[in-house]
Amino acid sequence: MAYSNKVIDHYENPRNVGSLSKEDPNVGTGLVGAPECGDVMKLQVKVNPATGVIDDAKFKTFGCGSAIASSSLATEWLKGKTVDEALAIKNTDIVSELSLPPVKIHCSVLAEDAIKAAISDYKKKQAATGKPAEKAAQPTA
Amino acid sequence: MQACRACGAGASLDAHFCPQCRTILPLVRRQTDYFTFFGLPRKLRIDAVDLEQRLRTLSRQFHPDYFYNAATAERRASLERSSYLNDAYRTLKSPVARVEYLLSLEGRAANGPEEASKQVPPALLEEVFALNEELDEVREMRASGAPAEEWRSRLERARQPIDAKREEHEQQLQELSARWDERGESDVLDALRDRVLERNYINNLLAGIERELSQ
Ligand code: FES
Repeated sequence: MAYSNKVIDHYENPRNVGSLSKEDPNVGTGLVGAPECGDVMKLQVKVNPATGVIDDAKFKTFGCGSAIASSSLATEWLKGKTVDEALAIKNTDIVSELSLPPVKIHCSVLAEDAIKAAISDYKKKQAATGKPAEKAAQPTA
Repeated sequence: MQACRACGAGASLDAHFCPQCRTILPLVRRQTDYFTFFGLPRKLRIDAVDLEQRLRTLSRQFHPDYFYNAATAERRASLERSSYLNDAYRTLKSPVARVEYLLSLEGRAANGPEEASKQVPPALLEEVFALNEELDEVREMRASGAPAEEWRSRLERARQPIDAKREEHEQQLQELSARWDERGESDVLDALRDRVLERNYINNLLAGIERELSQ
């Protein structure tokens, strides 16, 4: 399988590998998998609640080179985007940026799914915690 | 029914040869399926010995050598039937490929990766992810020269839950297959599909552990 230079670059120097605290109410976590190959991908975003802008993004992928490159690229794209802009990222954008061959399209789908899952997790958390600032101000028993 | 092109007699769609003149019939893929081709019901429990016998009989009957001097259409039919037979055998022989094939025949295959990843229980993904992280750590331990017993015992410990899961899986596959064969209920197919989707994660992980252990 011939990988494009961009895939190799992301594979060899993946950007933003790591994790953010799952407990942080401003962090959304997406964990997805591709049953065809059994690869798994975790992608997290940290959103600035005042501006709705993604300040930080991290990923960890156990999978093929294209999946690693797709998620690495995704985290690069996510930083500085608003939550809504992030939802507009399509797997086809990743495919064309990385010149992925047809058999590797599902790897980019995995990245898109991970973004969607992370953001929906963030939104769920926000809805559940209400206003985090007030909560933090409450005295601990 | 189809009409034999050689003698005009009627033959059923799943017949390999004309019942009248014994001419080999052309293969129409969308009118058959692997089970039918082998003369088997659409059931999941298949006796391996019986399947192999059927394979031998049919491959003898279709063998291109017999059609060396036959008309072009017959030669083609013999080649097509031979290659279809091989595909069918390969699929039906493997219990998992058989389930996947049945699911696609019944229109129950997962619709693309997006739908598929949602059907896998999140808890399994979590577990797979955590175990992958563990594997990563073991690799680092090895790379930094930790003693073999140390990382080996860690790997052995890591594989226990996943080994257990695989066994449980096999058992569920068998039970569900039996239920399908007896009752043909379609909700059994959905359960089967979920098991099949989960399988690659488990196998992938186990393969990773095996790879580390065998090095
Ligand atoms: S091969 Fe499965 S994610 Fe790339």
